[in-house]
Amino acid sequence: MSQSSSFLERIGFFKSGNVGESGWGRTLGVGLISLFYFLPVLFIIFTSLKPQDMALSVPPTLSPTSLFGLIPDHYVFTPTLENFSSVFSRSMTSGGAPEPTGFDRYFFNSIVIASTSVFLALIIGTLAAYGFSRYPLKGNDTYLFIILTTRMLPAIVVIIPVILMFRVVGLSGSYIGIILLYTAFNLAFTIWMMKSFFDELSTDVEDAARIDGSSETKVFLKICLPQVIAGLAATFVFGLILTWNEFLFALLLTGPDTRTVPVAMNQAVSSGGRGTDWTLLASIETLFLIPVFLVTFFLQDHLLRGVTFGTVKR
Amino acid sequence: MSAVVIDRPAPQLFEVAPDNWKLAILAGLVVSILAALALPASVSFWIVGAMAALVAAAFVVNAYRRGYYGGLLVAPAIAVLFVMNIFPLLWSLGLSFFAYQSNQQSIRFVGLANYVKALTNDLAAPANWHALINTAMFVVFTVAAQMIVGFLLALLFSKQFPLRKYLLILVLTPMMLSVVASGVFFTYYYDPTFGILSYVMNQFSNEQFILMDNKVGAVAGIVFADAWMWSPFVMLLVLAGLVSVPKYLYEAAAIDRVSGWRQFWNITFPYIRGLLMLALLFRTIEAFKLADLVILLTKGGNDTLTISYHLIRIANEQNKTSEGAAISYLMLFMVIVLTNLYLYIANRRSQGA
Amino acid sequence: MSTIEIRKITKKFGEFVAVRDADLKVEAGEVVCLLGPSGCGKTTTLRMIAGLERATSGDVIIAGQRMNELAPDKRDIAMVFQFYALYPALTVGENIAMPLHYEGLSAAEQQARVKKVADILHLGDVLDRLPGRISEGEKQRVAVARAIVRDPNCFLFDEPLSRLDVELRHSMRGQIKGVLSNLSKATVIVTHDQLEALTMADRIAIMRDGLIEQVGSPHDVFAKPANLFVGSFIGTPQMNLISANFKSYNNGKAKVTFDKQDVDIGVNHAVAKLKPGQITVGIRPRAFSVVGKDTKDTIEAVSELIEPMGAETLIHARTKTGNDIRVVVPRDKRVKIGETLHLVPDPAQTHIFGEDGKAVRA
Repeated sequence: MSQSSSFLERIGFFKSGNVGESGWGRTLGVGLISLFYFLPVLFIIFTSLKPQDMALSVPPTLSPTSLFGLIPDHYVFTPTLENFSSVFSRSMTSGGAPEPTGFDRYFFNSIVIASTSVFLALIIGTLAAYGFSRYPLKGNDTYLFIILTTRMLPAIVVIIPVILMFRVVGLSGSYIGIILLYTAFNLAFTIWMMKSFFDELSTDVEDAARIDGSSETKVFLKICLPQVIAGLAATFVFGLILTWNEFLFALLLTGPDTRTVPVAMNQAVSSGGRGTDWTLLASIETLFLIPVFLVTFFLQDHLLRGVTFGTVKR
Repeated sequence: MSAVVIDRPAPQLFEVAPDNWKLAILAGLVVSILAALALPASVSFWIVGAMAALVAAAFVVNAYRRGYYGGLLVAPAIAVLFVMNIFPLLWSLGLSFFAYQSNQQSIRFVGLANYVKALTNDLAAPANWHALINTAMFVVFTVAAQMIVGFLLALLFSKQFPLRKYLLILVLTPMMLSVVASGVFFTYYYDPTFGILSYVMNQFSNEQFILMDNKVGAVAGIVFADAWMWSPFVMLLVLAGLVSVPKYLYEAAAIDRVSGWRQFWNITFPYIRGLLMLALLFRTIEAFKLADLVILLTKGGNDTLTISYHLIRIANEQNKTSEGAAISYLMLFMVIVLTNLYLYIANRRSQGA
Repeated sequence: MSTIEIRKITKKFGEFVAVRDADLKVEAGEVVCLLGPSGCGKTTTLRMIAGLERATSGDVIIAGQRMNELAPDKRDIAMVFQFYALYPALTVGENIAMPLHYEGLSAAEQQARVKKVADILHLGDVLDRLPGRISEGEKQRVAVARAIVRDPNCFLFDEPLSRLDVELRHSMRGQIKGVLSNLSKATVIVTHDQLEALTMADRIAIMRDGLIEQVGSPHDVFAKPANLFVGSFIGTPQMNLISANFKSYNNGKAKVTFDKQDVDIGVNHAVAKLKPGQITVGIRPRAFSVVGKDTKDTIEAVSELIEPMGAETLIHARTKTGNDIRVVVPRDKRVKIGETLHLVPDPAQTHIFGEDGKAVRA
């Protein structure tokens, strides 16, 4: 064994001795690839920090810092936070006074609508998944497949009857309407995912609890639910990511008061016939990314465990 | 709350009892039909709704009295799905048998005419077929790209190493972006004048590089953007499979001097087969619906029109609601056949092993 | 030559020292058991020999070659894992054949080898089944079969029998011992079950808190425990350990004080070198003879609990000052609860441990 390899191993660069574990060498390699994969996102984030007139410069400005002279000057821009304040308030006509853009309201709407509908879907879907798993009905698989088919059609097909229905009932433009629709939209995935979780649990513990006199409600809440927390977290993250960014339903079914960020973003960047406002779009998206990013990050461990546990049969 | 299982016989058909769901359905149907015929839509809607609630209540009471917890637990989900998904689906299925345009009041029963038109009309059928073939092409390319990239990414992250958690979230981020933003930014990356891609290409040749000016480039651009966004989804599923392989199996393989290739097929692959299938299923369903990126990147130009975008044009821009519904049901039929084929193959494999 | 040697091997996990300066040599054809309570570092030691864990310092020498840096697949070893580690997607036959692929045998040769070990371990009927569909005992035998199907440098077993029920364990102990005796390889078995170690091993290495406390034949570790820990760990029922004050030694007898009374106990002559002071007297429960009356040589204790164990009877007794004493007497010796017993320890089975816990022995 050469001296150099043992030195690299001593500082943790390699870990050849341990199966399934690697050292900093892998961090470096995977880090480079991950960073490359992340570049388009990084570019959006950087664009949000650029002065407006530099957004479309050629050559493209790539970095807010020259990294101690590593990056040539014509790739460097001077970062500014101005774009973020213009998300919430800016002048709508050229030279006019800044006006509130209503984006605080849209962010609030997105948070309320996405979180409420994902939670609702989680509650209703988990109950149903438990039902499908523990009290199989005749033709259980058929019901489950029908539930899955609700996800197979292009949204546009479902949406026309929904628009008509909402108009008749007076739900168009209301929170309740869009929340209910998103709840249904998330249910199929929730039920499929959570059912496979409940299928994996051993029923012995539940039976033991029943023999000890626990009610069905208690068995579900105290015995089953704690065992599928990872699954709940994983389902929550997936549902949140999909709902958070949903565009078409929101475009057609929300009103001025209930508009969500993706719709408002689309309008804000293409209004006024001046073409895309790149820095504005980038700042909105950067702000909009933060909540899902944080949720995903904090639930990441559950996410991996959850997906595994839910779908791998032993 | 202990189980209240009452061993009483089900009520006779015409006996008025809170758990007589058969009578509730019968009464509900009669009242609903009468209301729908006699009253204006805005009133009859609520009456039909009330009848549906009555039937649901009867089901719940029946389920509770006889201890059918399954029915009780499933009921709320079914109710939401019914109102928000299945009912609109049936409605649009019904519409597909009518001649109806959402910008006109007239509605007329035409039977299978919409389907016949979609499949055989000299003008409509070739366009549909063409959009469908384009879609099939996108499904094959995007799903293949996502599976391969997602799989390779998952392999990168399969071992534990310092800072893994932080690098993983970087790779997951594209999936969290709003399609509006990432799609629009991809038009920038591909832009012939300002875009980064053409800037990079210009360093190698002096000609202006225009990615999207032919079909191959346009398809490549869309596939790349879609694969970039959704490979993390595949990665997450595959990675979950990879980390679920017990470590001692790899240790045993090391002791047994199993070759890397054999170790992958015999030990690792069985753990990710089911998840790969699930990823394939969900991504195929989604790929069939591909429209947003096409709208943002090419607006259907350079022969990149997909069936979903085609549908949006027919149903939304041309207001041919019922025609669009007919096409989408033809499409649904195909997706169902395809997914059942998947599930069939997946089940046969897992039983065969 | 199939030998295993570890020299001054140490494993640290961060600050925690799992194994400290362990030395051990296993000759060809010898079976050595690493025995100790859970968390004592015995599995870590085994994994370092296998190459699944890197030694922080020290050397691992297999077949005369230093192998510290070599990955497990370069060491040419066979190992049976605690949870068997059978490949779940492969049939029993395919599992057993896995180590053979490396050797580049033809399919027919592989089949023949698999069939041979399957016959030895009575697995002929389950070769086509998946590991999920066979019993615990069969799984265990498959794991052993996979290890002995080829001709490695040495064998390593990690708690091979811990998941079997008592009866199976008993029969598998015999089977494994039989199989191993025909192979003349260096073998290390990790176990926490002393009966397993005593019956299967040629030598036993007893570990505690990362240290090897004693290495010796099953007879030696039982009859001549090197220190307090080994004395108390080996043997059931547990050895009686009584703190006492050593006064003097005279002609094969030690005068010690405990229970505020002086007793003369027959001991090893090495005790002569001991200075007066605090000691621990270790006496095996089977080493007492019950005599009729109180003399200078007897220990007095009142019986409190009587447990018949079939051929023998275990008596829990208590001395005046509250020391517990376990005594095993033949089945025909009748003892009543509350009876005062006069006990004379057998000098050959009486161990004196000095203040440092080490046995005082010639």
